[in-house]
Amino acid sequence: MVRALLYLRLTSLKNSLLSRIRRLRQPKYLFGAIAGAAYVWFFFLRHLGGPGSRSGTRAIMPEMPPGFTDSLSDTSPLVIAFGSLALFVIVAITWLLPSQKPGLGFTEAETAFLFPAPVSRRMLINFKLLNSQFTILFTSFFFTLVSNRWSFMGGNGLSHAIGWWVILSTLNLHFTGAALTLTRLIERGGSTARRRTVITGVIALAVIGTLGWMWRSLPAPSPEQAAEVTALTHYLLAMLNTGAVGWLLWPFRIVLGPFAAADSTAFFFALGPALLLMGAHYFWVMRLQEVSFEEASLTAAEKRTAVLAQARAGQYRFGVEKPKARRSPFYLRDTGRPEFAFLWKNLLSTRSYFNGRTFAVIAAIIVVGSRWLPHSARVEMVTAGVCVFVAVCVMLYGPFMARQDIRSDLNHADILKTYPIAGSRLLLGELLTPVAILTAVLWLAILAWTLVLVPTRNVATWYTPTMHFVCALCAAATAVPLIGLQLLVLNGATLLFPGWFQSGRSPGGIEMMGQRLIFFFGSIVVIFAALIPSVMAGASVLLASYGFSTIVHYFREADAQALSPWALLAAGLSALAILTMEVWCGIWWLGRRFENFDLSAELRP
Amino acid sequence: MIEVKALSKRYGTFVAVRDLSFIVQPGEVLGLVGPNGAGKTTTLRCIAGIIPSSSGAARIAGHDIATDPIAAKRALAFFPDEPRLFDYLTVRQHLKFVSRIYGVANHEALAEPLLDELELLDKADQLPGELSRGMKQKLAIACGLLHRPSVMFFDEPLTGLDPLGIRRMKDSILKRARDGAAIVLSSHLLSLLQEVCSHVLILKRGEKIADGTLADVAARFSNGETNVSLEEVFIRATGGSEK
Repeated sequence: MVRALLYLRLTSLKNSLLSRIRRLRQPKYLFGAIAGAAYVWFFFLRHLGGPGSRSGTRAIMPEMPPGFTDSLSDTSPLVIAFGSLALFVIVAITWLLPSQKPGLGFTEAETAFLFPAPVSRRMLINFKLLNSQFTILFTSFFFTLVSNRWSFMGGNGLSHAIGWWVILSTLNLHFTGAALTLTRLIERGGSTARRRTVITGVIALAVIGTLGWMWRSLPAPSPEQAAEVTALTHYLLAMLNTGAVGWLLWPFRIVLGPFAAADSTAFFFALGPALLLMGAHYFWVMRLQEVSFEEASLTAAEKRTAVLAQARAGQYRFGVEKPKARRSPFYLRDTGRPEFAFLWKNLLSTRSYFNGRTFAVIAAIIVVGSRWLPHSARVEMVTAGVCVFVAVCVMLYGPFMARQDIRSDLNHADILKTYPIAGSRLLLGELLTPVAILTAVLWLAILAWTLVLVPTRNVATWYTPTMHFVCALCAAATAVPLIGLQLLVLNGATLLFPGWFQSGRSPGGIEMMGQRLIFFFGSIVVIFAALIPSVMAGASVLLASYGFSTIVHYFREADAQALSPWALLAAGLSALAILTMEVWCGIWWLGRRFENFDLSAELRP
Repeated sequence: MIEVKALSKRYGTFVAVRDLSFIVQPGEVLGLVGPNGAGKTTTLRCIAGIIPSSSGAARIAGHDIATDPIAAKRALAFFPDEPRLFDYLTVRQHLKFVSRIYGVANHEALAEPLLDELELLDKADQLPGELSRGMKQKLAIACGLLHRPSVMFFDEPLTGLDPLGIRRMKDSILKRARDGAAIVLSSHLLSLLQEVCSHVLILKRGEKIADGTLADVAARFSNGETNVSLEEVFIRATGGSEK
């Protein structure tokens, strides 16, 4: 069995490497590989040489005072305490969440070949555990590259690698044991609600016990003490390491021991108990070999394959289990501009709360709330901060996240191309949904900013209420083409380089990572380049206005007005006009591209 | 009517379809057959305007698919082997969407009998994910038929259908042909061709080996023998291999 597994994994690895090397003949993979390798080298491998060298860390954090990393050298107990808490949460979720038999994580191919084969359950479980080791070893290596840069940790590259391996292997054994135990429990008619109640009860008891102990024996730090790192650290350590919570976290601290060991001696002392715990886990899993996990494993494998296929088709959305039939977002007449049919269709594919009613309610809350809020400098500062944060997020990440456009319809390209509509109209229709959603969010931020912030002469003499209103108006007006432009660039990149976009959906691989990086940064560069004409136009109008104002005031022997609302309005309108023209030209040009788009040719190997 | 003249499709140096010409009159059903990789799907996708041809021309209901694609596409329906449906649209919403795209006025009057004919009425408010493979295929057909196309392309129409679904699909194709539609279908199933097609075109490595009525093509490859099966004709025509 072990030889068969080794043959399967090593042959698969060899074939996968060979096919990846062969496809480097295609520029998209070659450039992707170069970019990916450069990223990995720059961010990880360059800093190899053990935590002792720490050259990389200094390069990354040159502004850190010399004593800072030394002061963190005592953080090992803190890492263990919080790490064990994190592991506890993971394990608790593993036991709490499943409501159906979880089964074991076999692939569909493995279930097809191994389940009908003359192989015992014990061997199947061993196969699964051994198989996981390939992934665990690779993940340990990757995590070591990252953690090796944490200068405040002790140990060295090897101790970190072994530490990660111990953590991941023990977790994997625990997941396997939990899956088998839960499968048996559910098979025997065990109630999910009762299980959840018992586990939550145990956790609650431990927390209450600890709180009681803390109330009696561990006084809370004063505000002055809480401000000191050392006092606060001691308090948190005492909270997590003693009492009932301490006992609850004790096995997790053992698992983390080798990783957090500061030196070789500590490492070897920590390794023994961790290996013993791992062995106990293996013994536990082997005791569960009579559990009939095959059926649940088959279902789980099918689900995983479906999710993978969805992800590759660009349709998988994290957290959304199954699409649900919904009412139409608006009444769609049988005849009329086909663009609105795409808006209607794509709105149906978004989350249900993206509708006019939700936005109207939020707008009403903002309007009413702005009346109630006290107009103090602090409130205004916080509101401005939130508005700017929302606006920046929408502008930076929104177009990458709101993908209810040609990017999610690319696998329907065959059908879309049989529709009797021009490419430009189809593309415009596809863009409408993300433009509508992102614009609505941005408008809400602008509304809040406009209503809550009251311009005062203390900020700037020229920033009058009229100017404030004109600023908001210009921002709201330019938001639409601005978002449209960003979405157009991303959709354009998809249509111009569909091979890059499609292969970017494939999992893993340094060349895929590189492709995604090139795709992302390429899009950003094009978006900024496309913004230059409108920014220049707006700036030119403002400068011309200021120049004109200066000349007029010179002859009238008065001070020139720095900025007038009319000048700002004119600047905003000129920027808006250029942006709109750019978007219109882009849609027309990309529409033509879509009409001649040959996905089969683009994706031919 | 479908008129294809000297159609070719190249991918770099690889020629998928070479100098292909044929005509399908209203009421005729042309079966495209050939070994794997013969260029059947590529031919269908070229004449349906999904992918551009490298040279040659295709006219759909009198409109050139390259120079007047919108008018040509108004007259055609393309049914891929795998139904391509939108995950978040119910059966009824699919028809609504398609009616707006094709500008079908009062679509509900057409949709209801179509749903009834395809036995989809009780599934009208379900999403594609809740439908069986056969039902999905029926929904794709309903979407294609809603605008009453005069030209239809079916790519492997029987893939994944159960025996009853196969029977209904054959009947549906024949009914549309009787109503005057020009139909091209590609399939590996020679029995389907025998039952449904009035004409056949055999492709091999992108080139036309033979075309005509079933009787004509059978006569050409029977070498004077009688009762030669279509399977035998196909094997003789293609030389019994993909190469």
